[in-house]
Amino acid sequence: MTATETTHDGTIVVEDLSFRYPGSDETVLSGANLKIEPGEFVAVVGGNGSGKTTLCKSFNGIIPHFYEGSIEGQVTVAGLDVRTSSVSELSRHVGYVFQEFDNQLVNPTVFEEVAFAPLNYGQADYRERAHRTLAMLDLDGLEDRFVWELSGGQKHLVALAAALSLDPEILIVDEPAAQLDPSNARETYDHLARLNGAQGKTVVTIEHQTEYIAEYCDHVVLVEDGAISWKLPVDEALNRLDDLRAQDVHPPQVTRLAERVFDDDGELPVTLRDGIDQFADRISETEDRSDGAVAKTATVDRRSEPVISFADVSHTYQTLRSGTRTVLDSVSLDLYPDERVVLLGRNGAGKSTLLQLITGLETPDTGIVTVDGLDTESVLPEQLATEVVYVHQDPEEMFIDDAVRADVAHYLEDRNYPDVDSRVDDVIEFLELTELQDRDGRLLSVGQQRRASLAVGLATDPSIILLDEPTGSLDLASREEVGRTIDRAGKRVETVVIATHDLELAAAWATRVVILDDGNVIADGPPGRVFSESTVLKRANLRPPQVVRLAEALGLEPAPLTVTAFADRLGVDDPSPAPITEGNR
Amino acid sequence: MSVLDKLREATSVDAIKTDLLRTAYENEGSFLHRLDPRVLLLWYGIFLFIPWLFYDTEVLLGLLAFVSILAVLSRVSLFLVGVMAFSVASTLVSYAIVTAFTGDPVAAVRALIPFTLKLTIISVSSLAVFSSMGPKTLARGLRSLGLPRQFTFLITYGYRMLPVLFEEYHDLVNSYRLRSAPPDSPGRFRWRHYLYLLKLSMRAFYPMIFNVAKRSRVTVEAMETRGFSHSLNDAASTELQLADLQVRPVDIGFVGGSLAVVAVIAVVL
Repeated sequence: MTATETTHDGTIVVEDLSFRYPGSDETVLSGANLKIEPGEFVAVVGGNGSGKTTLCKSFNGIIPHFYEGSIEGQVTVAGLDVRTSSVSELSRHVGYVFQEFDNQLVNPTVFEEVAFAPLNYGQADYRERAHRTLAMLDLDGLEDRFVWELSGGQKHLVALAAALSLDPEILIVDEPAAQLDPSNARETYDHLARLNGAQGKTVVTIEHQTEYIAEYCDHVVLVEDGAISWKLPVDEALNRLDDLRAQDVHPPQVTRLAERVFDDDGELPVTLRDGIDQFADRISETEDRSDGAVAKTATVDRRSEPVISFADVSHTYQTLRSGTRTVLDSVSLDLYPDERVVLLGRNGAGKSTLLQLITGLETPDTGIVTVDGLDTESVLPEQLATEVVYVHQDPEEMFIDDAVRADVAHYLEDRNYPDVDSRVDDVIEFLELTELQDRDGRLLSVGQQRRASLAVGLATDPSIILLDEPTGSLDLASREEVGRTIDRAGKRVETVVIATHDLELAAAWATRVVILDDGNVIADGPPGRVFSESTVLKRANLRPPQVVRLAEALGLEPAPLTVTAFADRLGVDDPSPAPITEGNR
Repeated sequence: MSVLDKLREATSVDAIKTDLLRTAYENEGSFLHRLDPRVLLLWYGIFLFIPWLFYDTEVLLGLLAFVSILAVLSRVSLFLVGVMAFSVASTLVSYAIVTAFTGDPVAAVRALIPFTLKLTIISVSSLAVFSSMGPKTLARGLRSLGLPRQFTFLITYGYRMLPVLFEEYHDLVNSYRLRSAPPDSPGRFRWRHYLYLLKLSMRAFYPMIFNVAKRSRVTVEAMETRGFSHSLNDAASTELQLADLQVRPVDIGFVGGSLAVVAVIAVVL
């Protein structure tokens, strides 16, 4: 190409960058300064709305070329001035994987998607490039598959492959772990680590989950109110607990545990391995004190009638190129009143299908689903909806009116309930939505959308509540908020079933954990027992929360499930009351 | 009864979805798919014109039979055929109803049959041609005929959005169902129930468009980061994209053969 090619290394320099969206007085970025050296693996952290995505979108020119805001300062990426270079010019050097990677896939098949960029740049070897990139990410064999028939993990890797096909020096990935199951997220990170290590690419990820940061990244950048607070090596960065918490970023569980347990001012461990080393001494010291406090067992009365019952239920669906997929294969499962059930399983394991079978929106191909004594095939989903509420994993799908208040009232008004207004007021107040009640739900931030979608669900006053991925893509504050809501809602309803990848939520909240894999229930029981079955977890692409793994490595039996429980076992007094999302603290 | 009905309902939504997607994308095995898209478009142009040359019902029926065979060979969606049959039949019925007031409905419908047949021939050939061309082939065909890439990409992207729209729509209709009150009694032939579903499915349109439009922002950004606008002025890129288009004997044979069939039908009938 050009003679200046040699100067294109993976350096990113941000000097005094400020940016304001048009029509807004608030600056998203104000005076940000940052330098990222070639070959670094950097995590950008910060709360929802801190400006981290805006910052990263300035690296490939989407800011300012696609948002006509006012920009000041200078961004130089791979030797190019962002303000004077076009997005397509910059994109040869910067690959970008969006957070909503589903919307990034613009071609019908995997091969076309990956070949799209090289073809657009007129590279005659586009076929080889596409195949090479697919092979690099272990995606060979998927070339002719339709993108909408892929699993979430595969889609994300295809989006990554599409960004890599131009062989850019810099790769930016926005929240890879947010929508993937833990093992898919790790797979993505493993690939990123290889690209960073073997090919020397600069990798920048935006990430909420510090456990991945500790394991994979070498530097952390903290964004606060549109400015860069600091950029530090990862060990040092994750020890700045107060800075992180102030920005709603929660440190890894080992670090949080060490903070409670160790009283000296030494550096806290940030990875599981460091944790094992440091806690090993501590455990032997306190061995006689840890009297093996048994985790409290579920006190559900199994003699009562189940509220929800699956008898030998199978469910399949058709695809164009992937054949008939069996989602559930002869599943039998009984859920009882007052249970708090968490459904776990990899992306596509059938969790959502199982929830939709309970609503009656889907009916089994064979077998019987009974809800409150009614065969779901014999009644309309509308009738079941008086007892069951389903909160969709994508909160947008819950908004069918043009204001949050109207959405919350929809069910009550349609069914001519008396005193609609006061009941809606109750729910709105209960979930602290008063400020937002007149806004269109679809235009709220993700955290607010989750809260509003829960309000829509709770307004129906259900006895069974089904939540699909309620904590996906949320930062610490929003997750805690959702956690509190679930807890408070749980007092009003009989049975709550949550499908999630969030094992910390499962550990801290559930009385019963059900793991689905390959269309079958492969584990079912209280979290303490299920999380100790490591082979089962592995089979379902799951990893127990970090404290559980730490406890296992240290030989603590039974393993404590949360940071608080662990600290208690080590005889540390807990000064603060534990909310249900205590596992996140 | 409701078990059967619900089964039908559930299978039909999914069945229609799969059927339409198959029409849009799975055309590789069909006969017309093997032809060069430009030739196919030329053939289509000819068949838009040919029916207007004839007035004889028998000849028109012959032409209809010919294009129907091609449609069967290109595995046209049964759903689309159903929709077309419905619209043809309902047009004729509406003629009959209107003319019942003004005179002899039978004569009127009979007089309109040739005209309706011509439109049907054109519809069936459209179905045959467009279901045998995948979005990519169609876009390349139009592109090589000089249409700008912005337009042809819109076609492929529109096709790409089909499954997204289906998903979104299905989810929203479900959201409506879970929050609405069904009619107290379904009525004779459950007409109230179906009217209720029809209302919901109409109301779900606005949120669907809104949600999809909101997502397209990311799509536009993503296309730009992959050099879409660069490709518009890049000769090498255009050349690569149109590289394997070529007119072969089978293409010429197809157009020639079709014209011969038309001639035979015109002469014999």
